[in-house]
Amino acid sequence: MSNSEHPVPDPETAPETAPQTPVAPTNVPEDGHTEAVDKTDRGRDDAFLVLGLFENTDALMAAIPKVRSKALGRLEAYTPYAVHGLEDALGIRQSPLGAMVMVMGTLGAITAFACQYWISAIDYPIVTGGKAPWSWEAFVPIMFEVTVLFATFTAGLGMLLLLNKLPFFGHPVLSSRAMSAITRDKFALSVEAEGASRAALDTRAVTQALKEVGAVSIEIVPQPEPAPVFTAEFVLRAIGGIVTACVVAGASMYGAVKWFPELPPMTHMLEQRKLMPQKSSSFFRDGHGMQLPAPGTIARGYLPLGASSQDEAAELVNPLPRDIATLELGKQKFTERCAVCHGALADGNGSLTAAYGAKPANLQSAQFQRYSDGQIYWVIVNGKNAMPSHAADLSADQRWAVVHYVRALQRAQNAKDQDLNP
Amino acid sequence: MSEAALRANLPQSLLPVPLTVGHVDPGSLDDQVLAFPAKRPPKVWYMALAFTLSLFLMGAGFMVYTVYTGIGVWGNTSPVFWAFDIINFVFWVGIGHAGTLISAILFMFRMRWRNAIARFAEAMTIFAVICAGIFPALHTGRPWLDFFLFPYPNQRAIWPNFRSPLLWDVFAISTYFSVSLMFWFLGLVPDLASLRDRTDKKHKVRKAVYTVLSMGWRGAASHWRHYEKAYLLLAGLATGLVLSVHSVVSFDFATSIVPGWHMTIFPPYFVAGAIFAGFAMVVIVLVVVRETMQLRNLITDYHLEVMNKVVLAMSCIMGYSYFMEGWTAWYSQNEYLTHAFKNIIGGTYGWAGWLTIGCNIAIPQLYWFKKCRTSYFWMIFVSIAVTVGMWFERFVIIVISLHQDYLPSAWRVYRPTLVDFGILIGSFGLFFTLVLLFARVLPVIATTEVKAILPGAQPKHGGHGHE
Repeated sequence: MSNSEHPVPDPETAPETAPQTPVAPTNVPEDGHTEAVDKTDRGRDDAFLVLGLFENTDALMAAIPKVRSKALGRLEAYTPYAVHGLEDALGIRQSPLGAMVMVMGTLGAITAFACQYWISAIDYPIVTGGKAPWSWEAFVPIMFEVTVLFATFTAGLGMLLLLNKLPFFGHPVLSSRAMSAITRDKFALSVEAEGASRAALDTRAVTQALKEVGAVSIEIVPQPEPAPVFTAEFVLRAIGGIVTACVVAGASMYGAVKWFPELPPMTHMLEQRKLMPQKSSSFFRDGHGMQLPAPGTIARGYLPLGASSQDEAAELVNPLPRDIATLELGKQKFTERCAVCHGALADGNGSLTAAYGAKPANLQSAQFQRYSDGQIYWVIVNGKNAMPSHAADLSADQRWAVVHYVRALQRAQNAKDQDLNP
Repeated sequence: MSEAALRANLPQSLLPVPLTVGHVDPGSLDDQVLAFPAKRPPKVWYMALAFTLSLFLMGAGFMVYTVYTGIGVWGNTSPVFWAFDIINFVFWVGIGHAGTLISAILFMFRMRWRNAIARFAEAMTIFAVICAGIFPALHTGRPWLDFFLFPYPNQRAIWPNFRSPLLWDVFAISTYFSVSLMFWFLGLVPDLASLRDRTDKKHKVRKAVYTVLSMGWRGAASHWRHYEKAYLLLAGLATGLVLSVHSVVSFDFATSIVPGWHMTIFPPYFVAGAIFAGFAMVVIVLVVVRETMQLRNLITDYHLEVMNKVVLAMSCIMGYSYFMEGWTAWYSQNEYLTHAFKNIIGGTYGWAGWLTIGCNIAIPQLYWFKKCRTSYFWMIFVSIAVTVGMWFERFVIIVISLHQDYLPSAWRVYRPTLVDFGILIGSFGLFFTLVLLFARVLPVIATTEVKAILPGAQPKHGGHGHE
């Protein structure tokens, strides 16, 4: 792209209001050019601003106070890069961005701390690394990052969107002929209509003033025609667009909800040769995932009885010592498992007896006084008559402890004189 | 004594160096730099793009294979659970740091030479962070569940662990990427406005793209004051950020109890290493760019020499850090730490340790000689050595520390697989593809910033005495 394709509005190609030759403004013959301005000035009630172009920053800076003193309108400068001291010369106030960033950055720090504290200490307190859930030191790195994030977005987007009100493509300067020179290497001083009273801009006086301070070209920029927004076509298109967007969004949501839960992206990490519910196993020959234990397997803590009938069981000896701990255990298990039928005193008078008309054994009777420990044990394991087996409820030790306790109850209910403590 | 008289008495070496060669004015600068997006790229560019793109596509193939099959296709095995994935991540994040250093820290120090190279370095930051982001995403094994990393109220009723440095990393890297992108875009807006205004109406698409991207920037003085303030604030924020990001990356290691990782020197050591590697990469790319795009008058020998001086300074800091590692191992008299250090200089991977020391400490010492700082051959040689050395430094830190830790029965020698190398090469392909595309599509030099420092650009009176 060569320079000639993109002409810079120099005096030769400059707008019609500009002097036809590049001349120092002090030498401009006043009469010769006011004529030209007058011609174009006619019908320019819509003038929004008048641009005067300068070759360098020194000329621009020298011109500003002179034009400013005439108070012709709002002063603005358009430059290809940031010119130092320009805002002071134009009397533009300091940017409030610093304060905005400060506030938002602080807000970021508070947000990050509050979120982390609430999550880690209140909602989901899990001790990691032996640190208390509320220990705040670990929150500092993320606090810093979020502070920077909030501050950055405030500085960047706040500057562009809030303070500079961009994006805005309708500003009159953008459609001016001088624009391609402004973003390249020329400096424009512009006098703009203030507020709503556009007509108040005296283009003639402004042009004169700019010429006096040495503008190399001057352009009157009109307010761009406001494009009609609510035409029939636009409304139709907008409605069509909204309807299309709704249909597309609805269809995609339907598809997403319907299909995605069933479509995990890749499942073959789950596809292993393993036992699945209701499926046969490929590992064992018989296809069962759960195999029966090998014959003769003994479960931990459950020794076989070693007797096939109650008579044989009579030979068994209670392995537990008769001490307080054993009797406490026996009492506890007897109360849990036995007392409901046999009664707290083992006299066959439990709380279920009356309710169901059952007749549980009276263990205080002579028949059961005569039972050996092994026979009682056998009944606990196998049950008798209406009594079910308690093998599943009581471990071997617990059963023998119950036997000891039953013996203690029998002795307590049939106490002899020598049982009394002397 | 007046300023002019003072200048006249200064020796030549103390006078400010001109930052451009020959006659450069704002108009010619635009014609030189902003012309590239409109021109058809030369054949060699297409060839380079085809090469880097095919490298990337090959890497992408390996990535898809990894995701489809599971990360078992990598060499990572107990006890080396972190290997190429984390090495490459740390390496690429480090490359990115040079861009932020140039654009933010040097801006804060008013190093005006940074204006010409800031744009390219910032772009490289963004591309490097993109490359870096690939690796932790793949490292999780199921990248489609990576959103679990972000703390948002969810039906799983669980929250991420804010005590984990890995979560700090998520925040640090995503913040770093957002801030770098914002910084880069902010710098681009006035340049895009220049591009918009010099693009002819008949190139409708190009003009529309530049118009939208430049957001209707019109260079108003009332806009520039906010813009300048925003740029200064962003530079200040990015300065703190760039120091924090690689510190957080180093916390991934330093907060653990692995011998060789559990060291307080890690954060500054990592930051210096990042700047070191990043500057070397910037030098490599800038040499190619200034030669192929005829930018010798804007990116001058002075720029490259200053950058090489930074590389030398960072190399000395790295040397100090390596020495401190050894010193700590000896002075602590901790047998595990001593063992870890002995592995660096003598174990199975001793060659990698010596390669690191040689490339990062010994070879950059050539930059003490002005000839080496200014000759392309030595510049490229040292820069490539530094890039290789810094990659191996992360290999040394990660693999050597992990492969023999407290439990001798678990020790194992790590061997990378073809897939590991494929993804690494693919990430280089992606990086250079993005660099090539950027060089032809957007202004490679921040014209607005360079215009502002050209001689006579700022007013003699009423300014802040800048010149």
